[in-house]
Amino acid sequence: MKILNLIKKYGTLIGFIGIIIFFTFNLPSTFLTAKNFINISQQISMLAVVAFTMTVVMVMNDFDLSVGSMASLAGIVAAVLFSMGYPIWIGILAALFVGVIGGLFNGFLVSIIGILPFVATLGTLTMFSGFAFLISGGRTIFGRDIPSEFSSFARSGIEISSLDLKIPFLSILALLILFIVWFILEQTTYGRRLYAIGGNTEASFLAGIKVKQLRLSAFALTGVGAAIAGLMYSSRVASSNPTQGSGLMLEAIAAVFLGMTMSEEGEPRVLYTLLGVLILGVLDNGLTQMNVDSYIREVLVGFIVILAVAFSSITKKRN
Amino acid sequence: MKKLELLNLTKSFSSFKALSNVSIELLSGETHALMGENGAGKTTLIKVLAGILKPDQMIMKIDNNIQNIYSSIQLKNLGFNFIHQELNIVSYLSVAENMFLNHPYPKKYKTIIDWNKIYKLSSNALEELGVMHIDVKKKCTKLSTGDQMLVKIASCLIKTDTTPTLYVFDEPTAALTLQESEKLFKVINNLKKKGAIILYVSHRMNEILEISDKVTVLRDGIKVLTDKTSELSKEKIIRSMVGKDLSDNFPERTGNINENIVIDVNNVHTKNIKNISFKIKAGEVLGIAGLSNSGQREIFKMLMGVDNIAKGKISFMDQKYEPTSPSDAWKKLISFVPRERRTEALMLKMSVKSNTATPHYSKLSKFFFLANKKQENLITNNYSKKVQLKYNNINQSIYQLSGGNQQKVVFSRALASNPKLLLLDEPTRGVDVGAKLDIYNLIIQLTKNGCGIVLNSSDLSEIMGMCDKILILKDHEQYKILENFKINSQDVLANFYESKKQ
Repeated sequence: MKILNLIKKYGTLIGFIGIIIFFTFNLPSTFLTAKNFINISQQISMLAVVAFTMTVVMVMNDFDLSVGSMASLAGIVAAVLFSMGYPIWIGILAALFVGVIGGLFNGFLVSIIGILPFVATLGTLTMFSGFAFLISGGRTIFGRDIPSEFSSFARSGIEISSLDLKIPFLSILALLILFIVWFILEQTTYGRRLYAIGGNTEASFLAGIKVKQLRLSAFALTGVGAAIAGLMYSSRVASSNPTQGSGLMLEAIAAVFLGMTMSEEGEPRVLYTLLGVLILGVLDNGLTQMNVDSYIREVLVGFIVILAVAFSSITKKRN
Repeated sequence: MKKLELLNLTKSFSSFKALSNVSIELLSGETHALMGENGAGKTTLIKVLAGILKPDQMIMKIDNNIQNIYSSIQLKNLGFNFIHQELNIVSYLSVAENMFLNHPYPKKYKTIIDWNKIYKLSSNALEELGVMHIDVKKKCTKLSTGDQMLVKIASCLIKTDTTPTLYVFDEPTAALTLQESEKLFKVINNLKKKGAIILYVSHRMNEILEISDKVTVLRDGIKVLTDKTSELSKEKIIRSMVGKDLSDNFPERTGNINENIVIDVNNVHTKNIKNISFKIKAGEVLGIAGLSNSGQREIFKMLMGVDNIAKGKISFMDQKYEPTSPSDAWKKLISFVPRERRTEALMLKMSVKSNTATPHYSKLSKFFFLANKKQENLITNNYSKKVQLKYNNINQSIYQLSGGNQQKVVFSRALASNPKLLLLDEPTRGVDVGAKLDIYNLIIQLTKNGCGIVLNSSDLSEIMGMCDKILILKDHEQYKILENFKINSQDVLANFYESKKQ
C-alpha cells in the first residue's frame, strides 16, 4: 500500500529517473556528464521560459495557444528594429512591449469579452503569426542585420574555470524567470488569488476576488514570457524568422501537464513544470544522441506524455 | 414487485466503513424514509442500490428470490428510478427531450424521430402526475427548480416495457418551496397508491412525519432504527440519529438589539428586483421569505454588488454604499454565505486554509503583495475552532470533509473578517441536525457581537425560529415586512399565498 502511494505521488519523478538511467547505460561516455547537462539546460531554456509563464494562466484553468506565434512575432519585431538601425535595448523593449500588448489582448478576449481561451488564443495565434510574416515580409532576418552584441549573449555564459565549464546566460535567464514565476505564484497574494480562480471561478468572484482584472494580467505575463523566449531564440540562432517559435506551444503545454501529474490535486505548480520541461529536454537530447530517427522521436515523446498523464489520472481516480 | 430486500449490506472505502451489515425491507405501496446525519451512509446506500457503487457484501431479494445483479442497466430494467438532489437536467434541451434522455426515442419508419409522439407521451406522463402547467416544448432553463424536479419524476412514468417499481428520492425538497413540496408530496402519494415502492431521504423532520409510513435511521453506517412512522416521534428520531438528546428547536436568542442601524436600504431597484426597503440594526436578524425564485437570490446580488443599483440608495454604517463587485462588499465587512456550497462558495480541491483565507488576502499580506503564511494559518486555525470544524489539518482538501463541515468552512471564512453584516442564503441546506444547531448558535453569537444578519431560507421554521423581522417577496418585489416577532407560521404562509393570488 505504501509503495503504491509512493508510485502514485512520485510516478513521474520515478519515470524521469528511469529515463536518465536508461540513457546512462546506453550512452555511457556522453550522457551523464556535466557538459551534456549544461548543454541540455541551454537547449530547453526557451521552452522552459514559455512553460513557466504558461503555468501562470494554467493555474486558472486557462491556457494560451498563441505563445508560439508570439515568440516568433517578438523575435521579428526586435530584428526588424535592429535592421533599421535602432539600438539593441529599443529592439528588446519593443519586443517585450508587443508581448504585453498581445497578452493583454488575449486576456481582454477571454476575461472581458468572455470567449473560451481555446477559441480566443487560437484566433490570436493566427493573428500574431500573420503579423510576424507581414512585418518581416515573410523572410528570415539574419546576418549583418542582427547586431553581434545581441547574438553573443546566447553564446556567452559564466565561466567556471576550475571545472572547465561555462554556464550559459540563456540557462541563467530561464532560472531567473523560474524564480520570478515561483515567487509570484507561491509567495504573493496575487498567486493565491490565481489559484483560487482555478479552484472555482464563480466562488472566487463571490468571495471578492477581482477575477476579470487578474485573468487579464495573467495573460499579459504569459505574453511577456513568450516574447522573452522569442528574443532568446533569435539571439541563439542570430536570426529571426516568422515561424521560429511554432514548436513551443504544444511542448510547453505538455510540460505543464507532465508537471501537474506530480501535484497533490493535479493543479499546476511551476517547480513541477520545470520537471516536465526537463523530461522533454532529456528525452530529446538522449534520443538524438542515440541516433533515433526524429519522426520516431516525436512518436515516443507524445506517447510518454500521454502515458504519464494517463497513469496519474487513473491512480488519482482510484483515490 | 411486492417486496425488495437488501440484506447484510456492507461497503467500505479503504479503512472507512460507510455501511456495515445494514438490512432494509421495502414494501410496495409504502413510503419508507431513510434518515441519518450527513456521513451516516444514506448516499452510499442509494448509490449501491443504483449500481453506482459495488458493495463489499450484499444480498438483494425481490419477492423473496435472490437477485444477482450489479449493473445499473439491469437495475433500470427492473424499474428502479432515482431522483437525486442535484438534478441531471440538460438545461438547453426541451422538457420533452429531457424526459426522453433515459428512453429510446420513438421513431417514424424506424428512422426519423417522431417528435409528435415524444411530445404526446411526455405530456401524458406529466398529466399522470397531475401536472398541467408545464409546456413540454419549453427549454428546461426556463423552468423553476421545482418544476424541473417534477419533469424528472414524470420522465420515470413514460411508457416503456418496464413499469416503474421503485422510486428513490434523495432530498427532493431541498431546493423546493413549500408550495412545490406540497405538489411533490401529492405526486408521491399517487405513485404509492399505484403500488410503487418509495424510498425517501430528507433532513426535514416535519415532512418525514407527514408523508412516510416507515422510518429507518442510519448512524455511522449502522442501522439503528426501523419502525412505523406512527409509532415514532420527532424527538425519538433525532435521538437515534445523533445518538444523544438534541432538540430540533432553535436555541434561545439572548442578545439584545442595538439601536445603531447597520444597513438602511431605501427603495432600491436593480435590473432584477423592485422596491426593496429595509433597515437592519446591530444584532438584528432579517428573514427573507417567499415562494421560490421570488427574488431572494437577487437581494443578495444587490447587496454583494453583483447586480448594480439602478434606483434608490443604500447606506451602510451611515455611509453611502454603492458596491460594483463582491470585492467592495467584503472590503466594507459584509460577508456572504452563498446558497450553492459546491459551485458558489468552495474550491473543493483546495485546502481548508485557502478556502478560509480567499476573501481576506488583502489583509493577510505583507507589503501589500507578499502572502503572510503565519497569519493565514493563525486565522484558519482560530476560526475553524470557532465554528467547531472537524478536520485533520488546515491543509486538508475540502472535498474530504462532510457536507456539514464544508458548510462550516464557508462560515468560518465569512466570520474571519469580523463582519458587520452577514448575508446567509440557505445556510443550513443539506446540513445534518447536529451541524444545523452549531450554525444557529453561531448566528446567535454573532448577533450578540452586534452583527446584522440577512437570512434567506426555504425552511419556514428556520425563519420563524431565528428572525426578528421578515421581508416577504412576491414576484421579485417587496410585498411586506412583518416587524412583529410574534407572528405564527400560518400568518407568514397566508402572506405567501395572498401574494401569489394578487
